[in-house]
Amino acid sequence: MRTRVSNYAVVVLALVMVGGLYTAFMSPKSKADDTTNQSTAVASGKQLYLQGCSTCHGLNNQGLTGPSLIGVGSAAVVFQVESGRMPLASGSAQAPRKKVKYDRTQIDQLAAYIQSKGGGPMAPTDAQLDVSDGDLSLGGDLFRTNCSSCHNFAGAGGALTRSKFAPALKAADARVIWTAMQSGPESMPRFSDNTLTPQEKKDITKYVRFITTQNKDPGGAALGHYGPIPEGLTIFLVGIGLLIVVTLWIGARA
Amino acid sequence: MSSIRDRLTSSPEPEPEDSAPGFAEHDTRSAGGSGAAESDPVAVSHHGANADTKRAELAVSGLFLLAALGAVGFIATYIAWPFKYGESGYQYYTPMLGITMTLALVGVGAGAVLWAKTLMIDEETVQERHHLNSDPEDRAGAAAVLKQGAEESGLMKHPILRRSFLLSQAALAVLPIPLLFGLGHFQHKERALAKTGWKKGSRLLDELGRPVKMGDLDVGGVKSVFPDVPGGRRMADSAALLIRMRPDQLKTTKNRENWVVEGHIVYSVICTHLGCPVKLYEQQTHHLFCPCHQSTFDAANGAKVLFGPAARNLPQLAITVDADGYFVARDDFYEPVGPSYWERKPSYKEPTYDGTAL
Repeated sequence: MRTRVSNYAVVVLALVMVGGLYTAFMSPKSKADDTTNQSTAVASGKQLYLQGCSTCHGLNNQGLTGPSLIGVGSAAVVFQVESGRMPLASGSAQAPRKKVKYDRTQIDQLAAYIQSKGGGPMAPTDAQLDVSDGDLSLGGDLFRTNCSSCHNFAGAGGALTRSKFAPALKAADARVIWTAMQSGPESMPRFSDNTLTPQEKKDITKYVRFITTQNKDPGGAALGHYGPIPEGLTIFLVGIGLLIVVTLWIGARA
Repeated sequence: MSSIRDRLTSSPEPEPEDSAPGFAEHDTRSAGGSGAAESDPVAVSHHGANADTKRAELAVSGLFLLAALGAVGFIATYIAWPFKYGESGYQYYTPMLGITMTLALVGVGAGAVLWAKTLMIDEETVQERHHLNSDPEDRAGAAAVLKQGAEESGLMKHPILRRSFLLSQAALAVLPIPLLFGLGHFQHKERALAKTGWKKGSRLLDELGRPVKMGDLDVGGVKSVFPDVPGGRRMADSAALLIRMRPDQLKTTKNRENWVVEGHIVYSVICTHLGCPVKLYEQQTHHLFCPCHQSTFDAANGAKVLFGPAARNLPQLAITVDADGYFVARDDFYEPVGPSYWERKPSYKEPTYDGTAL
């Protein structure tokens, strides 16, 4: 018991120190600072990895019950951890979105560590995530060609084979959307920077954020954004019902 | 309302639940304190009925007026309301058309219903109907005219004329029958349904019209591709999906060895069941999944049907790379894409290609 408590204490102390160090180096003035920063992040990320991830992914990222993480890149880490899918709670057809276990700094440290192990698709920079100069209309075109077949034209998600599903996009922020395209998690195909350029990813991200956060559903009830079938059924039941009531009223003897 | 109608039709059966002044003479309990009603029920009843009639008339006229206003408003909206994107108030153009037209239609309808329920006489009558056939005199007359015509025309006297006339009529009746066959499947000599926009050497274009080259896709990546012909991106039958997987994951038959380029493979996305776009690609299992009826195809193994109602594999497009490194089609699909149709043959011969690029 005593050793466990002291272990925790050491970890917490290490985290605080690492956090403090990281903050101290947060304003990189020179290339040297940047490198130091990066190696600190990698070291901290390794600690976090060994505690939280190595049980499944292996002490050397080689994969045990989970897949190998060599070459998956920082984009995969950001997507999986920032959407709460990792650490995995239990085995199922597909990792569900959960409460996020790590803060942004820790996620960046983990991402830096995994990126240092064999490279791979990189998470976007903050400048890339600023979608204000994205082209909303082009993003819509690209979304409908590349994304809507699985994620639904309004980002409401949909079913795949054998209990897998394409998730709804409402909960995903710009960084999660971007890293999902970049890393191709689980069933999702990967859209590398040659397939969809960073500018096109920005357009798509802007469009997805637009339809999931700003779209006002001018027709009233969205009915889950599932399109014509629930809409048709609703108007059929409600409309025919109303018409029957009106017909009865017209025909009723006063 | 019923009171008015019953007054107007002088109905002998008042409705007991109606306690309007017009019925005070029949309902002594409710008329307890009303001396005037008891002393002169008829006068009161007429007075009340007139007031109600007037009110109903006004209400109905109001609805008709509203309908007229709606119609005028519709025309005014259609002509004058700004409708171009970005103009002030453009977003209310369609709702305004809907509201005004609703007023015009519902006003007439509601007015008519209210009119019928308040002002029209409500009386059930039986309409006597006579027999539909004509009376015997007319029928005898018509028969006589026909008979006279037949005799005067000589049709009964000249058997050759009669028979040739009947023959001409019979032949005329048979005439349209061969035309019916022209509507059917003898038409499709051009095999229009069997061809798509893909041609030998046409490049694979993405959704924005850029040619796709080796290296554009990572392993696990996909791209919707269209033929590089005029209007190719709008050809619904030509839509295809370029998929990249690791070359060792891709199983190819001997015939199709040169249909793929280093793990890049192209399938038609038109489902062979009912033609929905099969573009849900799961990169871990290499399943292509149709959202309409859950047909599942194995993209790593010739798009073989794994599950669902589809009866045939998705047609595969043979590809290679041209001199500039862009993907090109070796030819059109070797079999018709999409669902079955009458003229479709049970099987088509798969071409084989040697390894040379185009």
